[in-house]
Amino acid sequence: MPRDGAGFVARWQRRTVALFRTPALEREMAEEMRLHIEMEAQEIARTRGLEADEALRQARLAFGSAERFKEEGRDARSTRWLEDLASDARYAMRTLRRAPGFAVAATLTLALGIGATTALFSVVHSALLEPLPFGDPAHTVVVWTGSFENQGSWMSYDEYELLTYEPHVFDAVGVYDVETKSITGAGEPERVHAAQISQKTLHVLGVAPMLGRDFLPEEDAPGTNDVALLGYSFWQRHFAGDPSAIGKRIEVAGKSNVIIGVMPRSFRMPLDYDEKGVTEILTPLAATDSDQGAIPGPAVAPGGGSHGLYSVAHLAPGVTVAQANQELARVASRLIDEGVYPGPDRFRLTAVPLRAQISGSLKPALMVLLGAVALVLVIACANVAGLLFVRGERRRRETALRATLGAARPRLARQFLTEGVVIALVGGAFGMFVAWLGVVATRAWAPPSLGLVAEVSLNGGVLAFALATTIGTVLLFALAPALAATRVNASEALKDGGRGATTGRARLRARQLMVVGEIALAVVLIVGGGLMIRTVQGIMAIDPGFRSEGVLTMELSLPTSRYPDGASVTAFFDALRHRVERLPGVQHVAAARLLPLAAQMGNWGMRIEGYTPPPGQTSPGDWQIVTPGYFETMGLHLVAGRWFDERDQASTPLVFVISQQLANKYFAGRDPLGGRIRLMSDSTAWATVIGVVRDVEHNALTAEPNPMFYAVHSQYLKEAGFTPRTMSLAVRTSGDPLALAHPVRAQVRAIDPQMPVAHLRTMDDIVSNSIARQRFSMLLLAAFGVLALLLAVVGIYGVVAQLVAARRQEFGVRAALGATPRALVRISLRDGMRQTAAGLAIGAVAALMLTRLMQGMVYGVATSDLVTFVLALVITGVVAMAACYLPARRAGRVDPASALGAE
Amino acid sequence: MADRADLLQGTLDLLILKAVLPAPLHGWGISKRIRELSYDVLQVNQGSLYPALYRLEDRGLIRSSWGISPEGRRAKFYTLSAAGKKRFAEEKANWRLFMNAVEQILHAT
Repeated sequence: MPRDGAGFVARWQRRTVALFRTPALEREMAEEMRLHIEMEAQEIARTRGLEADEALRQARLAFGSAERFKEEGRDARSTRWLEDLASDARYAMRTLRRAPGFAVAATLTLALGIGATTALFSVVHSALLEPLPFGDPAHTVVVWTGSFENQGSWMSYDEYELLTYEPHVFDAVGVYDVETKSITGAGEPERVHAAQISQKTLHVLGVAPMLGRDFLPEEDAPGTNDVALLGYSFWQRHFAGDPSAIGKRIEVAGKSNVIIGVMPRSFRMPLDYDEKGVTEILTPLAATDSDQGAIPGPAVAPGGGSHGLYSVAHLAPGVTVAQANQELARVASRLIDEGVYPGPDRFRLTAVPLRAQISGSLKPALMVLLGAVALVLVIACANVAGLLFVRGERRRRETALRATLGAARPRLARQFLTEGVVIALVGGAFGMFVAWLGVVATRAWAPPSLGLVAEVSLNGGVLAFALATTIGTVLLFALAPALAATRVNASEALKDGGRGATTGRARLRARQLMVVGEIALAVVLIVGGGLMIRTVQGIMAIDPGFRSEGVLTMELSLPTSRYPDGASVTAFFDALRHRVERLPGVQHVAAARLLPLAAQMGNWGMRIEGYTPPPGQTSPGDWQIVTPGYFETMGLHLVAGRWFDERDQASTPLVFVISQQLANKYFAGRDPLGGRIRLMSDSTAWATVIGVVRDVEHNALTAEPNPMFYAVHSQYLKEAGFTPRTMSLAVRTSGDPLALAHPVRAQVRAIDPQMPVAHLRTMDDIVSNSIARQRFSMLLLAAFGVLALLLAVVGIYGVVAQLVAARRQEFGVRAALGATPRALVRISLRDGMRQTAAGLAIGAVAALMLTRLMQGMVYGVATSDLVTFVLALVITGVVAMAACYLPARRAGRVDPASALGAE
Repeated sequence: MADRADLLQGTLDLLILKAVLPAPLHGWGISKRIRELSYDVLQVNQGSLYPALYRLEDRGLIRSSWGISPEGRRAKFYTLSAAGKKRFAEEKANWRLFMNAVEQILHAT
């Protein structure tokens, strides 16, 4: 039949109205039918002369089930399916509200399953799969030097030159130096991470400026290196993203440079992925052999020369990383044979591909976590399936009843399905929220040293996958019991009250096994989390040798342009100390070369009077340079002698304070006080030991302290030939250290308005950052432990509930024969407890084996720590038992009459 | 449900359209009218009547409105729409064609 447009519109209008006015329409329909019956009754009364009551009864009989006709009346309208959907959804919400336990368990399981999977996969993706911002990362390597006990160390200029001549495995090699530099002449003075790069470096990395140009070869030469490339965010901050910044001048560490280009936003140097931060200024290295202390050409100075550079290289076509490393090993052993490096095994060269360099150490851990997460997703799906199954079983009677009352089977199936959809939608929405929360938390808590992990973003593809998997499971398992329940012969189901549930035995067995596995997994993860908690607790309890609370720190770097010599540097810090000392609330103030736990400290060769190192060895000490007041400011413990004070000046006798380690190692059996030390050079003067302090955990709380000496800042020129220009100021206060930030800064500015202040933070922050990795592992494992436990709870709840439902008849009989409710509860509990016990036992054994993998992560606690294991088992056991008890209680409430009545 | 077979598939629609052709009627009125017009031969089962009414209304062949019945009751009255009239003419022609064809077959010797 041809459709005229107007009719079509009118039809849809009617349908739309019908859809939105459903309750009103229902009423109209009912009224219309009531009228019909009444009219019919009158007619019957009139024609057959019956009483009104009898006539009405007959009219009703003739009319039949009004409900069914209403249904068919609705069916006749084509919006029927939409109306049904809306009413099914309303019905589902209503029934779910009546079963809050089921609704909460199902949505929670979905939310956690979807959320955890997505968040964690996003982390793995960002760390391992996200493309790196380099042109050819697979064929670009970082080259490290090092002796065999010290891998991954800096390179000397001679060694870099060697790389360009000898091994024919690279087609380009770059070398660079990194430093924090003060930038002035572009608004607010600032300290930024800067790299001085050889001309080929950006070419090696396969990156180019997004604005302007790369350095020219002639610009990478001494005297001409007055150009600079800006990092994207620096350009944004100081030039508001204005392209005309190119051609302008900025002062890099007091030296004027022309801006020739801006790097793209994604730009990173290969080592920018650790805690150091992103490089924001690039200047030419402009190295010469003479100022690098190197021999021109391929020759290498004895011992390699001065090490302090980083090197990157691009593999020649067809060369693999393994081949490159073979060749590098050959070159290294040749140099050792030629006697360039003292003793055997004192030198090695290693090429590490960029991907491995940036996230290599994370890969195994992330892969393990990814496995755990996949498992979690499977468990979540299984749990939801189980919950829906139990629910289907429990509603068999209701379903059968409604089927006899005339509800069509597809309609009933659809109602179950709609309920599944509602759960899936709510669970999915919560899941997305959990995923987002997980990503935000990872961003907030991931230590920067985890590199790319800190830059994680929610991965849409994974979210879609997790949603599809879980929702697919929900729909599948919502439908299965619906079909099973509706296929059931209604009269039979009503008669035997659901004894047919025993056909689910095999499925029950599978689910019981699953629950055992879930509990075991929970135990393993909780043990893991517990071990990390104990580790963090243990580390926090370590005495670092200083008192971190109440100390504010900041870094200052004095440029040669305005502070040409050591005396001017010392004068600046003296003036600053005296000004800050007078600020209200300040107890002590001092400056130090490196703050403990803030930066790794290297060592310096020393000669100790009266001590001869064993052949082939030296007597090094970590070098800390401080101003008077440092020991008081940091709260160090004096063991013997005295601390530095204002008497110790550039002009007074040279003095050292040494650490206990140093005293033990080099002054064994002697009184260190009065002993003499000189730094590894014949031209420098001897210094006298005046004090011994307790060891400070400088490199890490968990590291064995190295021998360390403390020198006076103003005396270092005489002792080592230079005065450190980058120092950290530490201020001890009785109040809130951050409240001092502004006043102290004002004092810095009062002396030198051009002086930028960097790394303003409290000592407490530094300490807490130093264990960020462990804390992150702890949070991650603890979160997973809780997640696994929750899922196990849902699983065991579902199984026990199913068992109780299936044994309703049996319980009825038992109750009728005199079993007390308590006995019935005990019987049902026994099943759940058997699985709990099995899960705990398997979990304990698995944890014992798996936590061995955590050997490198834990500190101060054995991976088989009894307390942790017992606690994990107790927690899991108690929680699992509680989860059993809830549904088991239902067994005690079985009413023998109703359970048996239908027999 | 044997009584449903009393009416040939599709004839109910035709009868309803015919019943409401002269004047608006409510549901019971339609069933009564069909019964009377057929001299009690055709009994319209209520279970078929109302779905058919809603179906016809949904297709725009009849329109409904609430009014007061001759008995003084609020009732839903069904009226033939323009499309309904057109459809009635078509259906009537179809039915005649069909009837004649069946008659000819039955009279064939």
